[in-house]
Amino acid sequence: MNTPIIQAHGLTKRFGDFTAVDALDLSVERGSIFAFLGANGSGKSTTIRMLIGLLRPTAGTIEVDGVDVIRRPRRVRDHIGYMGQKVSLYQGLSLRENVEFYAGLYGLTGEELERRWTALRERFDLGAFEKERSEDLSAGVRQRAGLAVATLHRPRLLFLDEPTAGVDVHNRARFWEIIQEEAEAGVTVFVTTHFLEEADYCDWVSFIDRGRLIANAPPEELRSRFSQGYRIDIDVTAEERPRVLQRLDGAIPAPELTATGLRVRLPKLEPEFLGRLEQAAKEAPGARIAIEQPAMTDVFRRVLASVASQDPRGAP
Amino acid sequence: MNRRRLWTLVRREIQATFRDPFTVTILVSVPIGALLLFGFILATDVKHLALGLYDGSRSAASRRLAADLAANKTFDITAYPSSDAIGDALGSGAISVGVVIPADFDDDTRRSRPGAEPPRIQVLYDGGEAALAGNAEAFVNSLLQASAPALGDQARDPRRSVVPGAERGGGGIGVVARAVFNPGLEGTPFMVAGTFGFVLSFLTTLITAVSIVNEKLAGTFEQLQVTPATSIEILLGKLLPLGAVFAFDVALMVVIAGLVLRVWPEGSALLFVGVSAYYVLISLALGLIFSATSATAAEAVQKTVLFSIPLVQLSGFLFPVRNMPTVVQWLANLLPATHYIKISRAIYLRAEGLGSMMPDLLFLFVCGVGLIYYARRVIEARA
Repeated sequence: MNTPIIQAHGLTKRFGDFTAVDALDLSVERGSIFAFLGANGSGKSTTIRMLIGLLRPTAGTIEVDGVDVIRRPRRVRDHIGYMGQKVSLYQGLSLRENVEFYAGLYGLTGEELERRWTALRERFDLGAFEKERSEDLSAGVRQRAGLAVATLHRPRLLFLDEPTAGVDVHNRARFWEIIQEEAEAGVTVFVTTHFLEEADYCDWVSFIDRGRLIANAPPEELRSRFSQGYRIDIDVTAEERPRVLQRLDGAIPAPELTATGLRVRLPKLEPEFLGRLEQAAKEAPGARIAIEQPAMTDVFRRVLASVASQDPRGAP
Repeated sequence: MNRRRLWTLVRREIQATFRDPFTVTILVSVPIGALLLFGFILATDVKHLALGLYDGSRSAASRRLAADLAANKTFDITAYPSSDAIGDALGSGAISVGVVIPADFDDDTRRSRPGAEPPRIQVLYDGGEAALAGNAEAFVNSLLQASAPALGDQARDPRRSVVPGAERGGGGIGVVARAVFNPGLEGTPFMVAGTFGFVLSFLTTLITAVSIVNEKLAGTFEQLQVTPATSIEILLGKLLPLGAVFAFDVALMVVIAGLVLRVWPEGSALLFVGVSAYYVLISLALGLIFSATSATAAEAVQKTVLFSIPLVQLSGFLFPVRNMPTVVQWLANLLPATHYIKISRAIYLRAEGLGSMMPDLLFLFVCGVGLIYYARRVIEARA
């Protein structure tokens, strides 16, 4: 199936005079990781809550997995998993009891639950925490537990609202590994974050600013449009330099000479170029290659700057 | 409605309720505390009241009377040398009641044959403490009447008693209790029956007021709403377990009132618990509405407290509705608590059956259906 799993058109939410989300068009491909980025208060959570039927839009249409969410918000609930900003485990209940509770609501019990939970427990490293009360779990564990609970019923679509807020770097990386595994298994992941660098884990990035989409593209494309691109520095001796140059012959733009070797600037890293680089590295074993990719933060700074120059509302 | 989902919700609510020591404490101590406070301390005996006694007669009869007064735990007796000293002590607040036995008390007693004037003693109260005085008067009155026959054949007619104004007491036997906050001049059973209304209204809304708003703040409410659980399941998931807890509270209060206060329902206890359980559902639904429409726990609690003011003032719990101005009576009759308290007293005091309380039951039924329907709407509402 190639129809997008989420389609929203003209999605608008006004709270009184305040327009939280302004005529948003979104389209999310099945099996992709869709990053929804933006500053605090930019309308991310409002959008996600409209998509899962918790909030009624002021205007616009939403279709999630073939269901008109605005008219039939309940229809979609078996298909989706949701993890809100506050990981919603019940305090006073152990992790295991929380799992049984949510599983019960999805009709998952007995052996079926045992099998599913055993698998999730292993994969999410939660075995040691089963008996602990949810309020005693550390932020990282709680986040993984929240995700486990949200995926108990094998949803086709996962909505994660700021899942990595307040989680340390190590646990964030671990968390993204799990999300990528889910996506590989065919689950579509719609994730909001204000950690811009996390966009790199995703297949598609939509950037929202004050209720409007200001960027909507794969991360690579944003990089090539809104940065000076990749910088590849090759430290290489004078003897080996010709061999490297020969390999990179035809690359555009042509490599510049530097004090220690060569430097190439590229808007995108194409596989073809990487292949050549690999060859060059084999032929010139003394060469040291360093690739610097533009930080997503810088990319978004440029996106914002370019929007601000056109937007009558002025700079954010 | 899916039974397994409902059971899942109910089980979690029970777990949460019983694992929170504060909630458990409240659920047990408030009903008992209120029952004892309203039924026992406020409604009945005045204990250890300071009583000043001047015995001008110094006769066997007067000493006997003094001993009778002292024998009851109601009074702590202090002897004073003159009736003036009694007056001073009353004025300074050292005593609450003064009893003056005149010098001719003994003579009077002897002369109190049929047709003769009865013996007289003087009982003084602090008029500023009218309610206390009322209580004390009733006690002194009944005590003196009880001891009058023991004084020999001198005081055969207790109705025309030794105490001025004692004619009101009637019969010389039994206690006419006047509660401080019970202007209806009705006793412990009256207060006990009313206390059910107060506790079941106030405590239910208080316990539920924080329940949804806390879940909202914790994020679990949002999570519930994206699961297949329906709003009616979520609502019943709260109402049923808490309803069961409060039904237990009703039974507990019936037993405590019976054992400690010696007040058992005159009518059917089963009918009483049944009506009470239904009333609990109404009240819980109201609390859930407060909770679901509040942004913070504090707001929900404030709503509950504001609601409890008319509950105390208008429901007939403390002040009789029939004595209120007509407009206020209309307001009072809009409160479900007013009708529940009426029913509660009808069963507890007068052993009435279903027939006579039909209008009140009907009102409660309509209220319940309306409030539960509205609570469901509020829970379901999408902003």
